[in-house]
Amino acid sequence: MLELDAVTKRFGGLTAVGEVSFRATPGEILGIIGPNGAGKTTLFNVISGFYPPDDGRVLLDGRDVSKLPAHQICALGLCRTFQLVKPFGNLSVEDNVMIGALTRLPSVAAAREEARRVIALCRLEALAGTAARSLPIGLRKRLEVARALATKPRLLLLDEVMAGLNATELREMITLIRTLHAEGLGLIIIEHIMAAMMRLAHRIVVLHHGEKIAEGPPESIARDPRVVDAYLGEEFVLAGP
Amino acid sequence: MRRHALAAFVFGASAAAPLAIRDGFFLDSLILILMWGAVSGAWNVAGGYAGQVSLGHSAFFGIGAYSAALMATRWNASPWLGMLVGAVVATGAGLIIGYLSNRLKGPYFALATIAFSQVLLIVASRWRGFTAGSEGVPVPFRPGFWTLGFASKVSWVYLILCLALAVYLVQVYLERSRIGYRLAGVREDEDAAEALGIPSRRLKVMAVAASAALTSVCGSLWAQYVGFVDPFYVFSVDLSIRFSLNAIIGGVGTAMGPFIGSILITSLETFLRASFSDVRGGLVGIYLIIYGCLLIVVVRFIPQGLVGWFGQRFRAMRLHARA
Repeated sequence: MLELDAVTKRFGGLTAVGEVSFRATPGEILGIIGPNGAGKTTLFNVISGFYPPDDGRVLLDGRDVSKLPAHQICALGLCRTFQLVKPFGNLSVEDNVMIGALTRLPSVAAAREEARRVIALCRLEALAGTAARSLPIGLRKRLEVARALATKPRLLLLDEVMAGLNATELREMITLIRTLHAEGLGLIIIEHIMAAMMRLAHRIVVLHHGEKIAEGPPESIARDPRVVDAYLGEEFVLAGP
Repeated sequence: MRRHALAAFVFGASAAAPLAIRDGFFLDSLILILMWGAVSGAWNVAGGYAGQVSLGHSAFFGIGAYSAALMATRWNASPWLGMLVGAVVATGAGLIIGYLSNRLKGPYFALATIAFSQVLLIVASRWRGFTAGSEGVPVPFRPGFWTLGFASKVSWVYLILCLALAVYLVQVYLERSRIGYRLAGVREDEDAAEALGIPSRRLKVMAVAASAALTSVCGSLWAQYVGFVDPFYVFSVDLSIRFSLNAIIGGVGTAMGPFIGSILITSLETFLRASFSDVRGGLVGIYLIIYGCLLIVVVRFIPQGLVGWFGQRFRAMRLHARA
């Protein structure tokens, strides 16, 4: 349902994303990996409507959404989280999630109910009344996902939601992602934690210097010499996924 | 009901006071407290709830004052009509200023609003043919409700009390409605709000326009009450600062904050002016110094304002009592 057609984004003379094309089909978890500065987050910004692409098109269900602002793309069912989480700090966890739910729901009461459901799903019940700014990073990441989920997306873009989590939190996040996938949500995940990526993703796109250098199932990506060269390193292949 | 307890007390006391006290000076002070509270509440719609801090709200206040005064003097129209015209013009100006907020953030936006109010000051004080220039516009007194001519200050207390209540209710609406929550999201983090499907730019512009219209209505009523519109007063930076100061001291983004701020600042100013008006030791401007000190103390020690601060204490006390 999401298709990128030769998407290019330049900042001055720097091509942050160069002619990247791929599809994300419903019911699949697509991973995006690449070294720092490879253009992963820029790609998310282009897909989610924060930057218009300089060239190429982003198609959602066959419709060109390249020029649409972010809030309209969210309304079409594509929502993203931010690598540097952006909680509504002075509001409670419940209000944070409820503001997401209000995108689909006309009444505050209905949105609050939906928010409680999503909060329970993300196991944040105990913190519903806490101000978002007082959450530790692991929980902020989970709040970021909860808030995005409350907008009822069909496709969710997660930008490094596992970075900085401890082992327990990481397990919980993986369980949550699996649950969401089982419920039929499409996911695109940027992640540096390869172990998690290998276990979660059905397909992986590798970016390097803004260009797509490989695409395929995790096993073949791990053995791809270009990927090993650019990103994974020899040790990873020797150690195995 | 508990959340409206403070409002019930303040507005109830304001309604009851004229029944007991008929002193002109007291009633005048009460009218000004409610008036400046209402304008600060209108400011709060943009500055507090939408996070667009303006230091040029006197622009909208002046638009309202001039609209009512000029409609009355030039076309012999009802000031109510003038108020409507003022609100429409201020909405237009608010849309432009609000649109600027999408380009200019924080202090830059505040500076742009100051500039805007000063441009209007120059226009109003120079355009002799239309605005009567720097001499200002005397507003004719025509007794009656339709012409907003009330000889009795008691009537004015109740009229301005209605205005204050209306502004209070607008703010309460912004605290609990869908649009209010979404606006809070925009205020807290615009990118996050946008990603969650909130049309953040449009909401900000709407909030500034609504704030401008409300401010303009206050300006129209003020012109009728005072009976004279002086461009150097209604478009002054002093006035803009007063509007924001009341809200900041009382509590930005709280519905009662602007009114509590106004009670404090307006009474303090009235008292100081009365005490130091005879220019004995050149202390005429001392209230400005006290304003400044108060602002520093509040921003440094209770940035959430008095209402926010007491609210927190009160909630903590209740939790403590329950535990």
